[in-house]
Amino acid sequence: MFTAFDPLLIATALLIMVVGTRRRWSFWRKGRSENRPGDWKGLSGYLLFQKKILKGGWGGIAHMVLFWGVLIPLVVIVLAQFAFVMRPGPAHALAFILDLAGAAAMAGVLFFLVRRAARSFKTSGVSSEMPWPAALLFLILLSGFIAQGTRLNLVPAPFWTAPVGWLFSRVSPSSPLALQLAIRLHFFAVLGLFALLPFTSLRHVPAGALNVYYRRKGPRGVLRPVSFEKGPLGAKSTADLTWKQLLEAEACVSCGRCEQNCPAFLSGKKLSPRNLMGKIFKQLEAPESSLAGEAVSLEEIWSCTTCMACVAHCPLYIEPMDKVVDMRRYEILGKGAAPVEARPMLRDLELFGDVNGKGISRRTDWALNLGVPILSATSEQPQVLLWIGCSGAFHPKYRETARNMVKILKRAGVSFAILGGEEGCCGDPARRLGEESLFLDLARKNILRWQRHCFKKIVALCPHCFNTLKNEYPVVAEKMGTEARTEIEVVHASEFLLNIIEGKQITLKYPVKGQAAIHDPCYLGRANGIYAPLRKIVKAIPGLSLRELERSGEKGFCCGGGGGGMWLHETKGVHINGLRAAEIAGSGVGLVSTACPYCLTMLEDGLNALELERPIKVEDIIDIVSGSLG
Amino acid sequence: MRIIVCVKQICQVYARSGMDPRSWFVAPEDKVYRVNPFDEAALQLAAKVKGALARTEIRLLTLGPLIAEAELRRGVAMAGADELIQLVSQTAPDPWAKSLILARAVKMIGADLVLCGKEALDTRHGQVGAFLARHLEVPFVSSIKNLEISPDGATAKVERSARKGVGEIWESPVPAVFSVDIGRDALPYPSNEAKKRAEALPLRIRSFSDEPVPLTTHLGIEPPRPRPIKIPAPDSSLPAFERVGQLFLGSRIEKKGLILSGTPESQVEGIVSFLRDHSLLK
Ligand code: SF4
Ligand code: SF4
Repeated sequence: MFTAFDPLLIATALLIMVVGTRRRWSFWRKGRSENRPGDWKGLSGYLLFQKKILKGGWGGIAHMVLFWGVLIPLVVIVLAQFAFVMRPGPAHALAFILDLAGAAAMAGVLFFLVRRAARSFKTSGVSSEMPWPAALLFLILLSGFIAQGTRLNLVPAPFWTAPVGWLFSRVSPSSPLALQLAIRLHFFAVLGLFALLPFTSLRHVPAGALNVYYRRKGPRGVLRPVSFEKGPLGAKSTADLTWKQLLEAEACVSCGRCEQNCPAFLSGKKLSPRNLMGKIFKQLEAPESSLAGEAVSLEEIWSCTTCMACVAHCPLYIEPMDKVVDMRRYEILGKGAAPVEARPMLRDLELFGDVNGKGISRRTDWALNLGVPILSATSEQPQVLLWIGCSGAFHPKYRETARNMVKILKRAGVSFAILGGEEGCCGDPARRLGEESLFLDLARKNILRWQRHCFKKIVALCPHCFNTLKNEYPVVAEKMGTEARTEIEVVHASEFLLNIIEGKQITLKYPVKGQAAIHDPCYLGRANGIYAPLRKIVKAIPGLSLRELERSGEKGFCCGGGGGGMWLHETKGVHINGLRAAEIAGSGVGLVSTACPYCLTMLEDGLNALELERPIKVEDIIDIVSGSLG
Repeated sequence: MRIIVCVKQICQVYARSGMDPRSWFVAPEDKVYRVNPFDEAALQLAAKVKGALARTEIRLLTLGPLIAEAELRRGVAMAGADELIQLVSQTAPDPWAKSLILARAVKMIGADLVLCGKEALDTRHGQVGAFLARHLEVPFVSSIKNLEISPDGATAKVERSARKGVGEIWESPVPAVFSVDIGRDALPYPSNEAKKRAEALPLRIRSFSDEPVPLTTHLGIEPPRPRPIKIPAPDSSLPAFERVGQLFLGSRIEKKGLILSGTPESQVEGIVSFLRDHSLLK
């Protein structure tokens, strides 16, 4: 079948592919250095089962069948060039598999083409790139089947060996010339596909695989540190991003799963993580052009709630969020352009060490007359150190939650203590707003104060404190060079409560009637993968039943308070907490349980704004447990 | 144009959580050392002028010991000041003498405009600016919130707050002294680079051999009446004297008490068990 020209053609196509790929890779490889270990096992598991991709509903399934539907025939056809002699039995079986694989791939390609067409009618924001790869794949498959059909007309074979091919044989001519033509078309289209690979979204095949190979291992909630000595401070342009961040832009397929789950996008802000990756991709070739404030507007930069929905939903393990944070860092550290609304809070953090500007002297006011032991250098080691956080210490409603936690711990007979005035803001609000130097300052102070005290385990009330203390402080402590206390175990209050409930240290006696929904805090759920305790506790409360919201667990919807959102104004679109409140109101529950002071405030505000006839209560899981305590 | 901003470092007492009446219940952690917020507003206006008018330099003048140097340097960063000058004085002078020292320094340095806060948060005299203008024999406008310098640098248009919500607009020739009130705009946020530059800025120390004579004499301080954060009912088992003492001690009275929360049933049970525990109920 081969002509003498064919090897030349193949070589040309491959050459174009290699040269094009090398050119593209030279862009992202110019990124700043970053240490990322690779993971073969993770990658092969990812490709084999495509669990992450399958989460995307029909699109995921279509990808799966297309992937295998292309890979299997490709392998078989390459092997077939080595002229195996096969007995008719296995040969027939192989033909059957190829036929099925081709049909699957065809279905997958058709799905993508139709979806793409439907989307371009619906939204204006789809990628401007033409779907060449899908069109070419379609051509390859079609010509392949026509060739198969024509061949079956010429050399009949048992129907079952190629049922789809047989269908095509009904409409295919039966001439050797047509067969030759179809095969040539098939062949050229395949070559075209290879040659086009680096120039179309097909580049996600190598780049995406590589990105998965280098994907993050630990919890999602850890931000990349800033090097104040070497810089750059944040990202002004793509030149300030690391190679991994640029590789992500190269790998993005613009599928839009991030955007479909992004609270900022869904509430009508300009920010779309998909567009963001697209903008970075466009600047890969011109790393000097300005990203922050120009290609990516300030509105986009400041409307992110750092909820990590984009990170959690990206099938290619791309993390759009960290680019937003890097641009924020540039705005604040590089330009001193902190958002006006957040400045008083940042200033309070600088002067008083808490977001409310009340000062350490007032930090234990919530515990007045409760007999809460305050840890001192001489006191005995308590079982747990209760980390109250700024909200527990100062927020009127969350103070009640802190008191309830004390009540529960006392009832459970757990020896505990607080740090009192020695506790400062963990630094999360500053860090997510990009004020890294303030964060480091706060974190270092806390870490140094920890060294004066004797404790092994921290129970944090707020998921933001929890995430920061657990995941980010060890990184800071390591850099400090002091003998940082890495042996400290940090757990969230909900985990701890579940533990003492399961250990029968407390009894839940008084029933709470009705149905409760759970609003998963981003920094507990998506950042740290803790979903079960809230559900188990709600189920353990007598009388209370659990009703899952439509968006819950990994898909949970942000309350709008994270990433400094608590202090920023939402001027465009609708309020994020309003969206969530409407969803909760629609579910018909009478109670929402959460485990985060921000969620509590935001949801309460959102629900109040709805002015429902039967108001829905929002309570921290601690309050619910304390109310039912026997 | 050269602008001198007079900045006071203050010790702000934001709470009184201490137990010792001799220190008026001020515990060490009840204080923060910072730059007087009105002076920060003055720095902000200076920065604004610097941004609008080419060849403007800002010099920061502070009188007294460096109790809040980090904050002072943050102020330098915020305003983009070009020089930081500390005036050292041996005595603890009254506003009159203070203004004399400042006036000397201003004359020595030379300035087209002097800005200062309308008062200091710790002493609340609010006099230094006006006195300073008198010593320098230049116009003075108090409590300004906004400032615009004409392009030729000869006149200043200022907006000052009169009574509630009413603004007044004045024009004044420069050189002049203005005292500044906190305005509507958020303070500038210093970038990392500005902070670094401010930290590296050398501190120039000036002192004068002859100290000016104060007009008034400061005799002492009347301690504030302690204001408790929350007064729990004094323990009724104590004698009256101690109860009154407790109230006066103010800030923090540890008293045993139980606040019941939860479902009504659990609260009822709480009350019953409390009464039982105290043998008030058999
Ligand atoms: S972190 Fe959340 S708000 Fe920010 S871009 Fe991602 S999905 Fe959107
Ligand atoms: S970042 Fe990920 S989820 Fe978002 S469009 Fe790109 S590939 Fe899809």
